[in-house]
Amino acid sequence: MSIEVRHISKTFGSFTALHDVSLVVPTGSLVALLGPSGSGKTTLLRIIAGLDFADAGSGPVLFHNEDVGDRPAAQRRVGFVFQHYALFRHLTVFENVAFGLRVRPRRLRPPRREIRRRVRELLGLVQLDWLADRYPSQLSGGQRQRVALARALAVEPNVLLLDEPFGALDAKVRLELRQWLRRLHDEIHVTSVFVTHDQEEALELADRVVVMNGGRIEQVGAPDEVFHEPASEFVMGFLGQVNVFHGRLEAGRVRFGELAVEVPPGEAPPGGDVRIFVRPHDWRVDRRANGEPTLQAVVCRLNAAGPHARLRLTTPAGESIDVEVPHERCRELALHVGAHVFLSPKQIKLFANGGAACGARSTIREFVTQEDRSLLATGP
Amino acid sequence: MSAIGAISGVQPGVAGSAALTEPRWVRASAIAVMLLFIGCFLVVPLAAVFVQALERGLGAYAAALVEPDALAAIRLTLLTAAITVPLNLVFGVAAAWGIAKFDFPGKSVLITLIDLPFAVSPVISGLLYVLLFGLHGWLGPWAAEHGIRIIFAVPGIVLATLFVTFPFVARELIPLMEAQGTDEEQAALALGAGGWQTFFRVTLPNIKWGLLYGVILCDARAMGEFGAVSVVSGHIRGQTNTMPLHVEILYNEYNFGAAFAVASLLAMLALVTLGLKAVVEVRSRRQLAEALRQRGREGEA
Repeated sequence: MSIEVRHISKTFGSFTALHDVSLVVPTGSLVALLGPSGSGKTTLLRIIAGLDFADAGSGPVLFHNEDVGDRPAAQRRVGFVFQHYALFRHLTVFENVAFGLRVRPRRLRPPRREIRRRVRELLGLVQLDWLADRYPSQLSGGQRQRVALARALAVEPNVLLLDEPFGALDAKVRLELRQWLRRLHDEIHVTSVFVTHDQEEALELADRVVVMNGGRIEQVGAPDEVFHEPASEFVMGFLGQVNVFHGRLEAGRVRFGELAVEVPPGEAPPGGDVRIFVRPHDWRVDRRANGEPTLQAVVCRLNAAGPHARLRLTTPAGESIDVEVPHERCRELALHVGAHVFLSPKQIKLFANGGAACGARSTIREFVTQEDRSLLATGP
Repeated sequence: MSAIGAISGVQPGVAGSAALTEPRWVRASAIAVMLLFIGCFLVVPLAAVFVQALERGLGAYAAALVEPDALAAIRLTLLTAAITVPLNLVFGVAAAWGIAKFDFPGKSVLITLIDLPFAVSPVISGLLYVLLFGLHGWLGPWAAEHGIRIIFAVPGIVLATLFVTFPFVARELIPLMEAQGTDEEQAALALGAGGWQTFFRVTLPNIKWGLLYGVILCDARAMGEFGAVSVVSGHIRGQTNTMPLHVEILYNEYNFGAAFAVASLLAMLALVTLGLKAVVEVRSRRQLAEALRQRGREGEA
């Protein structure tokens, strides 16, 4: 069953959580709403579920082209998995899963034996049949998560909505459950939307990623599309680490610092001042100048833990640049703290500078880490 | 005392707590003072009630209880509790539900109002009803015209008791419901449950121990209330006397044996209440602690 929302706005007092948001979720897909806190992703999910209602004047919420905007959650037949699971603490795992069937009006309620069969089946699906008689307080976080999912699926929902489904779990369990949820979705094909602030989770799990910021949708696309072809500076910055430079576009070449890079026609903004984004893994690192214009820098930190060696470099002007190189390359170059290196970008992404004045001699102004992506969100 | 010896016997430096405890004689005398205090002011008077009640033998004791006026007082007390406790249970749950689960203007005023009966003297509470429904009160003449007797009659006693015992259930439930939040209710709604189903299947089971605790306190106060009831009752024997008022009348008539016999009933009621309370309190604390713990976990995440 497809989901569509049109022109949804939502305000809480003086705070606008959603500005005129429209979105289509195709039947059977698994879609991620990705964004930082306060971007409106959970609000959008709750409006789809019927736990919150859009402001007057908003467009409809359509399930399979039928407007359900006025119906409360109970009548929308949605499966909702809450961030903290919200399991009924006084009921066993079995009764938690059976709840949605037991509260149905008598004529729609399956017979007792049928309920038992369905609950057993669902607990089998989430691999928890052996815990049927436990109470939620006796379960681990990952187990609670799966009970919450089984409970949501018990009502045979039209759509499955998950609010930060893995947010409260530790890293290892999170990874396992993520893969498990993907497999589950491939098995049952229920149209699903999940909210997350973890870009890795969104990119790995979803068919389509909806990147949200400040109550608006920044971009909708397949994971590789939003990662490689970000539509905005925000998306670029949110989906992974990035170094940001200010520069100038002249005659098909963009200049920033000592560097000048060819920009294929058609890809470039109209010219003038631009912001240049370079991902840490898109740098070529050398120990000597290779004749091309390069950026000189000194290694000031080297972290070899993890899949790539991560370097923090400092330019003579005092700016920092984050770079990732494969371990082999790191050894080949015999990199160490204090080593001099020459940098050239393998790939850059340009965005027109929003009119910010920038001198002819452009300088590296900013360095953006994953931690302070907020800089990008609020940048000039 | 052996436990104290065991704790103080711990070598300093072996356990950090040894450095934090007082010298043995300080602890021993503090405990002695406390026991003496409890003995003098609680145990001895309670024992005295039963001793006095049984002084003239079991026969006189029983006779004092089956005497028609005493039976009438017991009946009235039970009737008052039977009316006020269920009403305050419903009001208390409704008030706590509204306050804990929703935000609305005037919420803090409502909380203050719920506490009002705790703040004013019970005698004032009784006077309120005399001022309202007395012969010269605001609604008194109207009530008299329609043949409704409130003051110096059972309705007045019920109203005064209702007022005095109003906060017990609500006060007990508000912190519990606030700690539990609304997540489970939302989950129930999303699963297709209606409002009443959500209340009876999710909200009520989650608060049952706290609710029971509030009801026990409310019941104890409803049966034992003296001041407010004394003002509105009129002390008509066999008609508007509750047990506490009956005890007072007997006592004033120097009928000590009968006074203590009825008083012993109230005392027994108190002991039973305390026993129940002790059991329920443990469970209701556990319910609250669990709710707070869960909140804490969510806070970390």
